[in-house]
Amino acid sequence: MAILSINNLTKNYGKIKALDNVSFSVPEKTVFGILGPNGSGKTTLLGIVMDILKATGGNYKWQGEESIDAMRKKIGTLLETPNFYAYLSGEDNLKIAARIKGRGEEDIEKVLTIVNLFERRKSKFNTYSLGMKQRLAIASTLLGNPDILVFDEPTNGLDPAGIAEIRELIKDLNLHGKTIIMASHILDEVEKVCTHVAIIQKGVLKTVGSVNEVLNTTGSNTKDGILVEISAADNHQLKNILDQMPGLIKISETDNGFEIVCPENTSAESINRFCFDKGIVLNKLNVKRKSLETRFLEITGKQSDR
Amino acid sequence: MLKLFKIEWLKIKTYKTFWLLYLSFMVFTPMFVIFVAYKFMNSKYSNFEEMTLKALAGAPFVFPKVWHSATYFSGLFFVVLSMLFILLITNEVQYRTHRQNIIDGWSRMDFIKAKFTLLIFFIISAVAVTFITALFIGYTYSPQGANVWDGIKYLGYFALMATVYLVVAFLVAILVKRTGLSIIIFFVLVVIVDNLLWLGFTLKESQLGYYMPLEAVDSLIPNPFKPKMMERRTVADYTLIITAFSYLAVYVYIIISYFRKTDLKT
Repeated sequence: MAILSINNLTKNYGKIKALDNVSFSVPEKTVFGILGPNGSGKTTLLGIVMDILKATGGNYKWQGEESIDAMRKKIGTLLETPNFYAYLSGEDNLKIAARIKGRGEEDIEKVLTIVNLFERRKSKFNTYSLGMKQRLAIASTLLGNPDILVFDEPTNGLDPAGIAEIRELIKDLNLHGKTIIMASHILDEVEKVCTHVAIIQKGVLKTVGSVNEVLNTTGSNTKDGILVEISAADNHQLKNILDQMPGLIKISETDNGFEIVCPENTSAESINRFCFDKGIVLNKLNVKRKSLETRFLEITGKQSDR
Repeated sequence: MLKLFKIEWLKIKTYKTFWLLYLSFMVFTPMFVIFVAYKFMNSKYSNFEEMTLKALAGAPFVFPKVWHSATYFSGLFFVVLSMLFILLITNEVQYRTHRQNIIDGWSRMDFIKAKFTLLIFFIISAVAVTFITALFIGYTYSPQGANVWDGIKYLGYFALMATVYLVVAFLVAILVKRTGLSIIIFFVLVVIVDNLLWLGFTLKESQLGYYMPLEAVDSLIPNPFKPKMMERRTVADYTLIITAFSYLAVYVYIIISYFRKTDLKT
């Protein structure tokens, strides 16, 4: 059974459609990424399924049930920014969250330790750094060991070590059978952590499926080719000979070289040899698997929405 | 409900501003009333006018009228608790914790109910402190055999007045969301709008002024130093009580229906 199923969810703010008929469902025990540029409707979507925003149309079900408030007690959620009482300590803030969830206070020490905040548990929330606030919010989601976790930009404000820790934590939670729904605008993050992905743009669902499915869907631009970054000392001449290269599907100029798309069976060696035979010595030859980034840009277009 | 109050208590028990405002009401109100009573009871009749005024006031610090006087003064200070109540609601919006409480599993109604437990706590506190103050002053200055419980209805009027003020504060805070602006709007309503409406109607010799949202409960406990012959109100107390309850029903309905449907943003 789907953990979360969303049917034709629509949200209008005046004339602006923040969400336009979005439907998908989140399978059990996946890390489900919701990917989209800033302002694409990710947070609006999560806000609706958490009942802090009201949908204009459509509905959603958690584990097959129409939204019941008690359901949220069993979901750990971090939405947008950490929301805590500024004048209370980290520990006291978690006590409130634990009581609302109907849990005892026995989890608090454990979750604070997981996010490395135990030492600072008595400090007031408003003395925390941005990264600490974020980690407290993540600690709060772990209270009561919920089977479903919802993270909205979970690595926001963390330093590189913190980001790596949180990604490990998410993978680890998933290994322990938890379902994680994660919104992010960071492609790399989704690619590294998620098993499934939904891409939304301007409130419209562009594609959804397992990461592999989404990556392997034939794109209009790259066909079934591989992407190669290439450059030489004389890029002008390089361009001339690349145009003669057999089987070349596409060529596009980048800052200091070219991105070319070649047939699936092309090897780096054959490209190198071809250029060398034509008298060009390459100073860069980088074969890229079609990344989520390429796929994402194919789907959403290159222009930033905002 | 007790469970909800315990969570509300966790939110405020180490909050300095809460204690500052709460204790100023709980401490200064009795101190002020006792001080006024002391001054009044121990003043010498220095001239004829003062003597007349005092006689007209009719023993305000002696049973049974002390109930009336004590609740009147508590009523003046009660605006402090109204402000505190606004602050505790708008804080939730400012810290976005109203969202977090819902995310963590409260229903929208739970949030409203939790704030109502706080409202009840404030009213019980205010009624208790007023009760003790009145009893203390009454026993200090009343002659033996005075009728102690005769004016106790004023304590009920006071509880009703306090409820109306806090529910209006609740409504303003929920709709306006910003702390400073909510407090300003609340004061403008309490001090200016309501009184101007009352004055306007009263000058036209109309009794309608007494039906104004806050004036209805204010009029239940008029200034105890105002001589009876200057009272223009002919509307009966019970009419005002019914009016107040009708307003309460409307306000509570608006609070609930608004908060259940709205998007919780900052």
